[in-house]
Amino acid sequence: METEPLGVIARLMHELGKLPGIGPKSAERLTHHLLQAPKQQVFSLAEALRAIKEQIHPCEVCCHPTEHVRCTICADPQRDDSLVCVVEQPRDVIALERSGSYRGLYHVLHGRLSPLDGIGPEQLTIDRLMARVRTGRIQEVIMATNPTTEGDGTSLYLSTLLGPLGVKVTRLARGLPTGSVLEFANSQMLADALEGRRVL
Amino acid sequence: MERTEAIVLRTTDWSESSRIVTLWTRELGKVRALAKGGRRLKSMFDSALDLLTVCGIVLLRKSSGSLDLLTEAQVSRRFPRLRDDLGALYAGYYVAELLADWTQEYDPHPGLYDEAVATLAELGHESGLRVMRFEMVFLEELGYRPALERCAGCQGPLNEQRLAFGATTGGVLCVACQGRQREHRPLSVEAWQLLQALRGSGDEWRRTWASAVRNEVRQHLGGYVTTLRGRPPRLLPYLGG
Ligand SMILES: [Zn+2]
Ligand SMILES: [Zn+2]
Repeated sequence: METEPLGVIARLMHELGKLPGIGPKSAERLTHHLLQAPKQQVFSLAEALRAIKEQIHPCEVCCHPTEHVRCTICADPQRDDSLVCVVEQPRDVIALERSGSYRGLYHVLHGRLSPLDGIGPEQLTIDRLMARVRTGRIQEVIMATNPTTEGDGTSLYLSTLLGPLGVKVTRLARGLPTGSVLEFANSQMLADALEGRRVL
Repeated sequence: MERTEAIVLRTTDWSESSRIVTLWTRELGKVRALAKGGRRLKSMFDSALDLLTVCGIVLLRKSSGSLDLLTEAQVSRRFPRLRDDLGALYAGYYVAELLADWTQEYDPHPGLYDEAVATLAELGHESGLRVMRFEMVFLEELGYRPALERCAGCQGPLNEQRLAFGATTGGVLCVACQGRQREHRPLSVEAWQLLQALRGSGDEWRRTWASAVRNEVRQHLGGYVTTLRGRPPRLLPYLGG
């Protein structure tokens, strides 16, 4: 490797090393694997990487990532569009969908209120949520932000905005351990938390 | 290896399974430490290392240059009012901001630790007043005690009829000094009394104060803290009197 122009290979290792769970050793192993892999396989990976950034954008209704104008959940006529479940991240939608017990729609905030880090309502998709609720179609908004100090704070803030609009605001039941993160909860826990939600 | 009690002031993701936490400890002052996940530790850290939670921690001190390692964290106290009262939550965040941004690592202030825990426990009832009391104890402890009994400019006596607070001078100004100091804002007698009560050793500050007086003191303290720091605290706009 000393004789090769270091740039290209080192750059790939460096980029791979930024991925979660990939340390320097794994980055090196993956790089050498890719060096030896068939050209077509590597190009296909590169194309897939490019596509998630070029073709994926937030759903115009719920802000969940999709390659269409509306995500498959919002576009599904079987879903109950009077019910909206507010989550912090797209991963939380996946976790709730896996629980199989929810038939309404979602709203992805893409974060949580974190005044200590300078993250206020403008940095989240709160305007879009308010606009959805103002259409009058939605009857219940379920707060499914993480049961952490900041997640609860975000729910509390949203409920003060939504209260005056006359919509029912509920919070996932306390089955989830305080401080935990939604995406790691198991499906039964999530189903129970949805079942036992309480009015805020 | 150190075992102590700590308030969680801040957490930042470091990698998928680890994060850096800023803690306000009773025995060690402010500490920044790496909480390394792994399957067994992750759930323990997840529930304990939530903002404004008090936990018992075990810390592995590292030699210079590398971050200390958090090896244990158990919740010892949560403050439920912070989860159903937005004003209380923002006041709690403000306490965390002051402690995280103004203190030095390993500079212990046990009295300030106790005051912070007492404040978090009482937020939800007169949160605005409670956090101003904390601010006053905080300023005093860090050596920024504002001059209230005598003029901050000349140490001379004050005229109750014409009081003013000078944030840059660091306290209440006499009439003559008000003429000399460009930066000052009028201070009502009641607000002056509340400022003194907040700094006093007793519970005088807990009595009922008119909201106009609380708001006035909020303004003066906010201005003073902003001047000392050179910029307004992030949470300042969220606070009420
Ligand atoms: Zn959608
Ligand atoms: Zn003077």
